[in-house]
Amino acid sequence: MSRRLMSSVLIAALVALIGGSPVGYAADPIPIGVSVAQTGPVALAGQEQVLGAQIAEEYFNKKGGVNGRPFKLVFQDAGSDEATAINAYQNQINVAKVVAIMGPSLSQQMFAAGPFAVRAKIPVMGPSTTAKGIPQIGEYVSRVSAPVAIVAPNAIKAALDINKSIKRVVVLFAQNDAFSKSETETFQQAVKDLNLELVTVQTFQTTDTDFTAQVTNTLTAKPDLVIISGLQVDGANLVKQLRELSYKGLIVGGNGLNTTNIIPICKMLCDGILVAQAYSPELKSKINDDFKAMYRDRQKKDPPQFSAQAFSGVQVFVEALSALDKKSPLAKMDLAALRMELNKQIMAGAYDTPLGEISFKASPGGEIVQKQSYVAQIKMDQGGTSGKWVYVR
Amino acid sequence: MTRSLLFQQVLNGLAIGSVYAIFALGYTLIFSILRIINFTHGAIFTLGAYATYALTGASFGFNGLLANASLPVRLPFVLALIGGSLFAAVCGVIVERLAFRPLRARGSDPLLTLVSSLGVAVALVNVIQYLFGAEAYSYPADPFGHLPSAVNFGTAAQPILVRTVQVIIFGVSMVVLAVLTVLMNATRTGKALRAVAEDTVTASLLGIDTDRLILLTFVISGFLGGVSGTLVGLSVGIAGPYFGIAFGLKGLAVIVLGGLGDIPGAVVGGLVIGLVEAFVPSQYIAYREAVPFALLFVVLLLRPQGLLGRTIVQKV
Repeated sequence: MSRRLMSSVLIAALVALIGGSPVGYAADPIPIGVSVAQTGPVALAGQEQVLGAQIAEEYFNKKGGVNGRPFKLVFQDAGSDEATAINAYQNQINVAKVVAIMGPSLSQQMFAAGPFAVRAKIPVMGPSTTAKGIPQIGEYVSRVSAPVAIVAPNAIKAALDINKSIKRVVVLFAQNDAFSKSETETFQQAVKDLNLELVTVQTFQTTDTDFTAQVTNTLTAKPDLVIISGLQVDGANLVKQLRELSYKGLIVGGNGLNTTNIIPICKMLCDGILVAQAYSPELKSKINDDFKAMYRDRQKKDPPQFSAQAFSGVQVFVEALSALDKKSPLAKMDLAALRMELNKQIMAGAYDTPLGEISFKASPGGEIVQKQSYVAQIKMDQGGTSGKWVYVR
Repeated sequence: MTRSLLFQQVLNGLAIGSVYAIFALGYTLIFSILRIINFTHGAIFTLGAYATYALTGASFGFNGLLANASLPVRLPFVLALIGGSLFAAVCGVIVERLAFRPLRARGSDPLLTLVSSLGVAVALVNVIQYLFGAEAYSYPADPFGHLPSAVNFGTAAQPILVRTVQVIIFGVSMVVLAVLTVLMNATRTGKALRAVAEDTVTASLLGIDTDRLILLTFVISGFLGGVSGTLVGLSVGIAGPYFGIAFGLKGLAVIVLGGLGDIPGAVVGGLVIGLVEAFVPSQYIAYREAVPFALLFVVLLLRPQGLLGRTIVQKV
């Protein structure tokens, strides 16, 4: 073949390759990012979120995915600190080019990484970020985790149900964590609203391991109820040391302690901790029954809140993608437009999830509107090595 | 403040302080013989805790390369403690061979040894994280048999409680202090060690096997690191691979406060810092971490050789 013909053929082939390739999301499968705490101390909660997300991937793909197109979850560890979360977000947005991100696990991390999502105009969903101010970060930041202001006071009411003569309350919180600071404001306000006596407020850091001083100050106040807002490792250590130094009253834990993964740390002494729940396995609905069955199949126990929230987060993305695709085919959109339209669709939808029926209120990000909330208590087994949540309210 | 509350705070301070003391003992031993600050002590501390955990037959979590791994043995806690500490001692020796000896052979600046030890510490801790993940672990309950969870130093009406594990840590640190003091002052090996501390070259000229003694120092220091790591892990759980590094930094404040290289000084420094931390008023309790360093600053201004150190007179 002559040189000229050869080069024309090559150029034509190149044009066909580039020009002919689909612009936008006809590429299968659709990538959805998941960036939760897979390493670090918060992995105790992150592990449950990964499970919930994986079950959602299997379940919704089996049901046809996004109008017949499969989706896949792209996992990028957000660690337990802000820098790792920001890094994970950057990777998901620019390298993995996902359509949306679920994560990170901590409110503290969302405050750091959320602004990047707002600038990049990609919808992100906090599966467990319950502090005040999360949806206010920007219109692209939503959450499926009911805010502490709504959920937390229920735990104190449940404590009062158990012991009507509670009068003196001590509150402890981790003052270097945004979520704990937000949650403790709610707890302290609820204590006042219920006409209980807030005897003292003690602070600690999430990195502390020795709480001797705080425990001494707490016990000196002779409380009937102790309320702890912290994360998993510090919270569990604090409970353990309180009990070892003979505190016999009730303990209400915040959302940071809301995982049976704290059991290896406080063991038998975890028994009786009350934590408000945004999810109950007892809720009667088809999706919850399906979710429960799949979870029980893998873990031989009922699903916890963190897993249910992660499942619901993925569900919201998949259903919003399906609804958007029906209005305007995803295959014809480029990634930037897809992300923007998806965000609008997320806010507009209503979803029947294992958490119950939920929708979002623009604040400007999506604040979850959820009807139900519950309270559960840890019940330890005889050996002190395993336990489960027993719903009390 | 009532008398019983005061006594409680004092006991709290001694409890907190004995954790620092037991860490600092191994730390200061190296300094007293070799005049180097061994930052790897924090990593050896962590390794000892993990090794004891493995020897109790427990399994590691799902993260990390060796997910769900466990050893085929299941030793009772005290034996696991000794085994884990021996492992830590061996690691200490390996670190010495790889990180310190080559620098010493070349007559390098002590600062290089310090930086080298910091690098080794970070590397070791990251290896642990890579192999075993970053979850928190804790030892089996009732490791020493059915002891009560707290010891009552007061009366039934006015209880003054200290957690049993903290009493054990205090007891062990006192025993170690006694043993080390006897070793250094009343045995031939101790005398040889002090000779090496004073001048390595002269000691070797006088027929002392300095290499063997330096090895012995690292063995003892590593063993102490393993014991302290395990006991502290028993008290507050193993919070992850980095739980020893935080002690390394505070341990430095402890040994400088007590007098660099002074063995009773390490214990005194630790207890003093613990006592000061226990008396921090309620509203500043979250800033407790700043206290030892503030205290260190003040003491160094007034008494640069530390509380128990001797002034070093430079003879021309």
